[in-house]
Amino acid sequence: MAAAWLVVAALTAFWPDKPESDWTYTGSFAIACAVLAVALALATFAGGRFVAFQRLQRLSPWLFALALFFAAWEAVTAKRGLLPLPFFPPPQAILEVAIDDWGRLAEGIFASARLLASGYFIGAAVGFVTGVAIGWSRLAGYWIHPVLRFIGPLPATAWLPLAFFVFPSSFSASIFLIALATGFPVTVLTWSGVACVKSAYYDIARTLGATQRFLVLKVAIPAAMPHVFVGLFMGLGNSFAVLVVAEMLGVKAGLGWYLQWAQGWAAYANMYAALLVMALLCSGLITLLFRLRDRLLSWQKGLVRW
Amino acid sequence: MVAAVASDHAVRGSTLTLREVSHRFNFEGQPLPVLDRISLQVGRGEFVALLGPSGCGKSTLLRLVAGLDTPTAGSLLTEGREIEAPDPSRVVVFQDPTLYPWRTVWSNVALGLEARGLLRTHRGRIEDALRLVGLTGFANAYPHQLSGGMAQRAALARALVNDPKLLILDEPLGQLDSLTRIAMQAELVALWQRSSFTALLVTHDVEEALLLAGRVIVLSDRPARIKAEVINSQPYPRHRGDPHFVELRREVFEHLGLDEAW
Repeated sequence: MAAAWLVVAALTAFWPDKPESDWTYTGSFAIACAVLAVALALATFAGGRFVAFQRLQRLSPWLFALALFFAAWEAVTAKRGLLPLPFFPPPQAILEVAIDDWGRLAEGIFASARLLASGYFIGAAVGFVTGVAIGWSRLAGYWIHPVLRFIGPLPATAWLPLAFFVFPSSFSASIFLIALATGFPVTVLTWSGVACVKSAYYDIARTLGATQRFLVLKVAIPAAMPHVFVGLFMGLGNSFAVLVVAEMLGVKAGLGWYLQWAQGWAAYANMYAALLVMALLCSGLITLLFRLRDRLLSWQKGLVRW
Repeated sequence: MVAAVASDHAVRGSTLTLREVSHRFNFEGQPLPVLDRISLQVGRGEFVALLGPSGCGKSTLLRLVAGLDTPTAGSLLTEGREIEAPDPSRVVVFQDPTLYPWRTVWSNVALGLEARGLLRTHRGRIEDALRLVGLTGFANAYPHQLSGGMAQRAALARALVNDPKLLILDEPLGQLDSLTRIAMQAELVALWQRSSFTALLVTHDVEEALLLAGRVIVLSDRPARIKAEVINSQPYPRHRGDPHFVELRREVFEHLGLDEAW
């Protein structure tokens, strides 16, 4: 495992880059791989006692595969130039972006996170409350259900042109769109969760003297939580899609905008870097959501581990 | 001893009166009569069993007594007042324990106190109820970790914690294996003797009815009518092999129209 990374490092350092290239971070990439190799080697020799190392061991096939991937990538781009530039930059070009342009990337992350968080929380909260209302009250169901059926399936992005001139700023318009994209699945799943609660649960609580308020807050909502989390999960996926589209088309900030901007300058390395950051963030957020669910729904049997 | 228990019951259990209670369901547009003019008088602290074939409407009757549904005709009274809505003085133990899976045993038992805002002042009762049903060590377990018998005990504790005046038992032991069932029957009698509530048990098990109840009301097929009333004044604990018990059992089977079959 460590040896494989050492090979990547040696290959990067000693096989000269193809002629007429100006990658200044070839050496840095080699050093990074070498450092990783040394760290892995140290872990193998010294870390046998630690739990962290045992987890690392499970990852070793993946680490090996990644080393192969980087070696191949390095060979076909930087060394032999088999893939056309600028569409397929070598790994060191992406490293270069990460080091030289991290300020702009961080700004993008911050802007995206702010937009996503505002939209997602508003959408999830409104969706949850609406879902509970439809599931619980016949009157609310009568009035809201048709609206939901009519407007819900429309992709949130279809509102984009309208939203950008109705709302005072493209930022608030994007919050609306993200909230819409999040709200629909959360509403539907919360509603179905509340509607699916066994009537025996209510009977029990009623014979024990429960008020309507108790039935909603302490019976219907906890019983519906597994459904609600499915809705939150689907809503999160939707919100990523809308976020990127909104940033590309209207908001002049964020990772989506950065992607667009990088493409405009044919800076493909920057694009890949932004994509990588996005993948990490989205995956991280989903993991966070699942952790939260695991904690809140620990009473459930047979949870799917993310 | 028996007299002492009886007088204790007299203090805390409540009376129950059914006057010409009839009930109909709407089944695919057709009226489906389930109960046919049932009249019954249950005294304080009495243990009465309603016995009848499956699907005869026994559980419907219990839902009416609990106040979960209202009858099509006739009236139900407890302590002389009409039953209009569920009340924590009348608690039901259903055939299915229906514990809330998201709550631990402790908070399942706490449900009634929590619903009425008594949790802070009566917290100690939860421990007492758990001890009463033998679940002291399982307060923090989740329902999916319990066996069928334990879950039903937890459901019993959830009912008892409210100090009911009328305990309504809807085939509470129906889903248990026969060994657990026999043990729980004895425990139910002990609980009833100690806690002095009025008990109304629905069952289709003749032995169970005769082992537990002082009076067994035999119901007909749907729509349910009262066919007969069998009184068992034997002291507890009762034994299945006792000649008088066997005689009573034969009598009940006769009322059910099964005398030749068994």
